[in-house]
Amino acid sequence: MIVGEQKTLKEIKHMVAQYPKLLILGCGTCVKTCFAGGEDEVATLASALRLAFKKEGKQLEIQELTVERQCEDEFIQEAAEAVARNDAVLSLACGAGVQDIARRFDRVPVLPGVNTTFIGVLEKPGLFTEECSSCGDCVLATFGAVCPITRCAKKLLNGPCGGSREGKCEINPDIDCAWQLIIERLQKLGQLDNLRKYVSARSWRSGNAVGPRKLLREDLVV
Amino acid sequence: MNMAKQSRLQQILAKGHFAVTAECGPPRGANGEVIRQKGRLLKGYVDAVNVTDNQTAIVRMSSIAACVHLRQMGLEPIMQLVTRDRNRIALQSDIMGAYSLDINNILCLSGDHQTFGSQPEALNVYDIDSVQLLHMVRGLRDEGKDMSGFELDTPPRMFIGAAANPFADPLEYRAVRLAKKVEAGADFIQTQCIYNLPRFKEWVRMAREEGLTEKVHILGGVTPLKSARMAEYMAKSVPGIDIPDSIIERLKSAPKGKAAEEGLNICMETIDELRQIQGVHGVHIMAIENEGKVAEIVGAAGLMPRPEFS
Amino acid sequence: MRNDFKPIITMFHCANALKGDISPAFPENELEIRSVRLPCSSMVKDVYLLRAYEDGADAVVVLTCPEGECRYIDGNIRAGKRVKRLQALLDEIGLGGQRLSLFSISPNDDDAIGQIIRKTAADLVDLGPNPAMK
Repeated sequence: MIVGEQKTLKEIKHMVAQYPKLLILGCGTCVKTCFAGGEDEVATLASALRLAFKKEGKQLEIQELTVERQCEDEFIQEAAEAVARNDAVLSLACGAGVQDIARRFDRVPVLPGVNTTFIGVLEKPGLFTEECSSCGDCVLATFGAVCPITRCAKKLLNGPCGGSREGKCEINPDIDCAWQLIIERLQKLGQLDNLRKYVSARSWRSGNAVGPRKLLREDLVV
Repeated sequence: MNMAKQSRLQQILAKGHFAVTAECGPPRGANGEVIRQKGRLLKGYVDAVNVTDNQTAIVRMSSIAACVHLRQMGLEPIMQLVTRDRNRIALQSDIMGAYSLDINNILCLSGDHQTFGSQPEALNVYDIDSVQLLHMVRGLRDEGKDMSGFELDTPPRMFIGAAANPFADPLEYRAVRLAKKVEAGADFIQTQCIYNLPRFKEWVRMAREEGLTEKVHILGGVTPLKSARMAEYMAKSVPGIDIPDSIIERLKSAPKGKAAEEGLNICMETIDELRQIQGVHGVHIMAIENEGKVAEIVGAAGLMPRPEFS
Repeated sequence: MRNDFKPIITMFHCANALKGDISPAFPENELEIRSVRLPCSSMVKDVYLLRAYEDGADAVVVLTCPEGECRYIDGNIRAGKRVKRLQALLDEIGLGGQRLSLFSISPNDDDAIGQIIRKTAADLVDLGPNPAMK
């Protein structure tokens, strides 16, 4: 899922203070599953903002609404009425959702309430870890399904470097050395010889370095 | 046409001499005199000098510029190049530029991560890794082509080096990694500093078994320890450093004020041992910010005078 | 210190900790106790606690079963974690995390509840009324 973290109350307050009527718009997909922007988080944030502004003698009118996803018009349009009634939208979706809302409702300021961080998994309850950097040309088959581009801090394809210590990355002892994981996985699979082969320099042309990417499926265009 | 001399380091190793290299770091500023002063301390005592490339991701004068300062004084530089800060376009460009300025030794590294350095907010590059860099430099040299296949007017004829860490995890994999670097293009290897000789010898043995000591010149790294505290700090904080308790004990038990002297003794003993290991063809003395010690070490180890060529 | 300050304390409790309503002796004209009954104390979602303050609570108390005695195994532990998180949020809001507290009590321990209420009321003398309720 896409993982994100809600911005601090301080930062959000600063962004929304000037709008007397605010819509907090949640998203029921990725940000719900990482507890950053689903219906519950919308309710909590609305309550926190009301209390915080009331304490300063300000009255903010907050409407709360959550749609299934903010990255597809089918769901975005359900928010039309609510958006029309408010001076600004605080979207708790990922960065893509915020932009899609703003694209459709472009006469109203649409503000991000969440910092979108990474594509990841729920490794265990409460722990989300980054696994994929959407490079566009997946090479997990070579590396026993452990991604060196995302999980090695130096993106080594012929790793490891000399810095790993007891299986942890030199930059942070909380992070596993991806190459340690790759070696262990390939050992289990009996494929350690994969690593004797030289992996040549990668083309980064499938990634974001070439600019924002598009996927057009002609068969789905009516 | 570029008439750069053949690498002196290459000649020394080819002739079977036990090579001596040292290391120095460029200044944190634009004063060339700082690097020249270090050069003066090393000249005549070493065969070649590594010049680090923004080591530990701390911003310093560029390696290529500092190498030129040393070359102009008659020293033999080994330009260190990391892939952390430059993409393949910039790396190939710098390699060609370096060779045109009479720099003909290069050490290919990935480089310490920027989070360690003085500007951790910076974006890193890591377009290619150190093994791909080795491959690229060899391609430039032996095929005279850049990474796009374009034929260069003059190929940079670099003597190519790589780093190796016999003490890093995972141990079983270290020989495979060394083999990869040799196959990719490494002519010589400089290792991380050695304190655990049995473990180092084991690594050389594994390399020998893979046939690698026939294909590459290994230079063993040494760094004189100044105190037990320095040793403990290094053992704890620097990845890939293995300092046996016996060494730390020797430093602790040294009489007051004599720890540094004991550290030098340990260094001498290590060099003596290195000279006897089959497959080890030189020593790489890393006395960063302590370059004055290099002359003393080389002299006391019986490695003077250094070979001269016309 | 305001003489006309009649503190409102909202108490969330699990069905196990308290069978009936909160009924220890306390002076009704000096403070108001509101109680919210939950199947398990772990049901104290952030928004329920915050809405208690929006509804006028000056302090909120969460009562859980003692460690090891939660009928749902770790509900009381989850409640503890949520309360801790919310205390930090209350600091950010500016109400102060001291207005939220958590206590473990044996089931139906009226004496303990009475002590908790007296302590909370005493804390409120210093903290003053909920600043969002002016």
